[in-house]
Amino acid sequence: MISCLFIQVARNSQGEAVRKEGVISGETILVGRGAGCKVLLQDHRVDLVHASIHRSEDGTPFIEAEADSIIHINGFVEQSGALSSGTRVEVGPYLLTVEAIPEGHDLAIAVEIIHAHPEVDKSNVQDRLDLPSIGLSKRRISLWLFAVLAFLFILLPMLPSVSSAFDSWQSNLPITLTDSWNPGELSDGHRVFGSKCSSCHQKPFNAVTNEACISCHKNTARHVHDKTLHDSQFQQMRCTTCHDDHKGKQGLVKHNPALCVNCHGDIRSMKADTQVLDVRDFSKSHPAFRIAIPDGKDNGRVNRIRQTEGGKISEFSGLKYSHKVHLDRNGISTPGGDVVMVCHDCHVLDESGNHFVPMTMRKSCQQSECHALAFDEPAEGDVPHGSEHEVLDKLRGFYMRWLELPSNRVLCAQIGGGEKMFGCANELAKKNAASALFSETEGCGECHEVRRSQDADVPWRVVPVQMNKDWQPGAVFPHVKHGTADCSQCHDKSESTNSGDVSMPKIEKCRECHVGEKTSKRKITSSCNSCHRYHAAK
Amino acid sequence: MNMLQRPGLIRHKNWRYPKLSGMVIAAAIIMYWLHSPAEGEPYGGTWLGYVLGIASMLLIFLLMWYGITKRNVPKSRDRRHYDKVDRRKFENTEDVRKYKRSEGERRRHQPVNTWRFGGDMKGWLAAHINLGGALLVLVTLHSGFQFGWNIHTLSYVLTLLVIASGFYGVYVYVNYPRLITENMGEDSLETLLSKIAELNEMTRIRALDLPDDVNELILAARTQTRLGGGVWQQLAGEAKRDCPTRHAIAKVLELGAKYTKDNQPKLMRDLYALLLRKEKIVSRVRNEVMLKARLRFWLYIHAPLSIALFTALFAHVVSIYYYW
Repeated sequence: MISCLFIQVARNSQGEAVRKEGVISGETILVGRGAGCKVLLQDHRVDLVHASIHRSEDGTPFIEAEADSIIHINGFVEQSGALSSGTRVEVGPYLLTVEAIPEGHDLAIAVEIIHAHPEVDKSNVQDRLDLPSIGLSKRRISLWLFAVLAFLFILLPMLPSVSSAFDSWQSNLPITLTDSWNPGELSDGHRVFGSKCSSCHQKPFNAVTNEACISCHKNTARHVHDKTLHDSQFQQMRCTTCHDDHKGKQGLVKHNPALCVNCHGDIRSMKADTQVLDVRDFSKSHPAFRIAIPDGKDNGRVNRIRQTEGGKISEFSGLKYSHKVHLDRNGISTPGGDVVMVCHDCHVLDESGNHFVPMTMRKSCQQSECHALAFDEPAEGDVPHGSEHEVLDKLRGFYMRWLELPSNRVLCAQIGGGEKMFGCANELAKKNAASALFSETEGCGECHEVRRSQDADVPWRVVPVQMNKDWQPGAVFPHVKHGTADCSQCHDKSESTNSGDVSMPKIEKCRECHVGEKTSKRKITSSCNSCHRYHAAK
Repeated sequence: MNMLQRPGLIRHKNWRYPKLSGMVIAAAIIMYWLHSPAEGEPYGGTWLGYVLGIASMLLIFLLMWYGITKRNVPKSRDRRHYDKVDRRKFENTEDVRKYKRSEGERRRHQPVNTWRFGGDMKGWLAAHINLGGALLVLVTLHSGFQFGWNIHTLSYVLTLLVIASGFYGVYVYVNYPRLITENMGEDSLETLLSKIAELNEMTRIRALDLPDDVNELILAARTQTRLGGGVWQQLAGEAKRDCPTRHAIAKVLELGAKYTKDNQPKLMRDLYALLLRKEKIVSRVRNEVMLKARLRFWLYIHAPLSIALFTALFAHVVSIYYYW
């Protein structure tokens, strides 16, 4: 227990000491500005608990500074020291002087403030201790950002609308005023416009017009052949309904079945007497295909016959041809030996990849030296694969030379061909032609339909061959993309003996691999324009 | 000030705003997932793109309104505030009846929560933070992940930056007040500065009896020790500073071996102790400056960028209809 006389010293206006005494006591006397301190020094330069006064083992009182606090004892920084009479302890701005021990107490301490609150050092005042003191202002930064962005991205992009000359000039700059508004790359074809937005966007706040498109795309085909129907039904349609630019590589066409189904979902409401049936989705509601068969009048017109259940479609090509014979798995005999033929031997894809190169006698039928056209005995040489007249002329020519031998002329008398060599040769040629060349089953007739003709000179006619090039002209079918499948998977010709057999696959065949718009595992998603083209009318 | 430290900011009104923003996010993601746009790849111009875009824009307006609301909180229900205002108004008057009438007026003009300046700032803040998270998802889906060097992507990037700085703000407001309290302890910035000033004075006096080179060190430590500084110095705190006080400590220790006459060793030891103490306080001040700067700096990004976003958003919308 320490009993301490505690003297607070203040100075009056004359500078004289005024002493006020009190008594404090305790095992430990705390010194500091905190409430628990008995030596209470109320200045911020003093810590809450700055030091403490204890008794040492030998009984003399001593003062000890707290770990983070500094005290000076007799002018020097010390951690602790004995409180003998005359000891001067500085705690922050206070001076604690130990006085002579009075009667009845263990200690007497006089406390006086000796350092008035100092001016905060100017060097530290210059230091900027918070953000506003630097001059940072949220409002000012905001205003600047607003001004810069509004200038660059609102004002500048609108300027080209002021004058078209200025627009043309600025569109040639490396970075144009309107570039920042461009939502995406133009399609390849439209890159020719560069950055001149007004090429298509002719009037601000107005949608791109059809006229803007048509001013360049003058020859774009209609959707339907009938011009009056087109004008009545498609007048309201905008090019941009289906074409959207600024999509870069994605291209201009919107692949959206809804755009087609809009009309084709209920096509009779558009045209009551149409042959076209409703379609909504390839998987669920696409009608059976219509197969285009030439009408046989050689005028380019076709009849379109729908593939219905069980119905067999055939056409007239003018040819006699058996796929079954040619595709015999055991091979077909040729001058060079037995050959197993495959589809590609005759059907060769053209450059488009969609269609096939037209077959010819020389390339297709005479490969492997087959179908070599030699005259029968006694005529020699090859039959020209041309017109009937050409064939007969060649035969006549042969007989003219043949009759130069007197022994052969005997025949003239037998057939009543007369004495004239020309007449005789003509008769002999016709006779030969009738019996072999233009027979219905031999010679030309082996492959061609041969009919009688009114022509006195050459009374036979080989029916012109009509090879159908496209059974589905309303659709695009890239054979080249379907090369992963065997031809026979879609076109079954193994049992076909008639060249008129049409073996176009039905829609069910397509649906084995293709679905409509709704994606499905292991199937190919197909929208309308996977097969059809909008601008298809010729 | 620090509402984030109040308990239950996120749980506010039985998780109202996390639930709301969760539903908005879920609805947006499901719609985006089910949507197969007519135009091929998704982008801001499909019907869903427009829906998401308009929703995002309205959300941005709502979030920005928070900045206005929090500056206008007259509808506080804190009665003490009103009492204080009223008493100040009448503190110099003896007219009790007038005072009483004013109380009646006060009752008639009870604080009202309007839709514009809802009185509950806690609710506003909870909504601001949670809906900010939802906005992140909405704008990303609105973009359809189509980006380019244009105003449209700039608007998106600004939105991301504003949201990111906001989330940083949440992090800072949750963590830094505790660090500030730990650093300052019983002191305030003012008391620390006065302690530094006192230590400066003490070192000055101690050095008077010592040779010039020591005085130069102390002068440098006194006058050239920087506490705050520019933006980066404030934000960096102690890092990478060439501190004259620290330099003086090392030098005093070194020179202690040289000056051994009379009471020089005692003075040198004193200087060493005083400088060490000063360095400790200086680093606490710098920490304080750093923590306070970091606590506030994000708002210097968040608020101006939100204005930039507002401008870019305007340009984004105008550009679409200008070149329709």
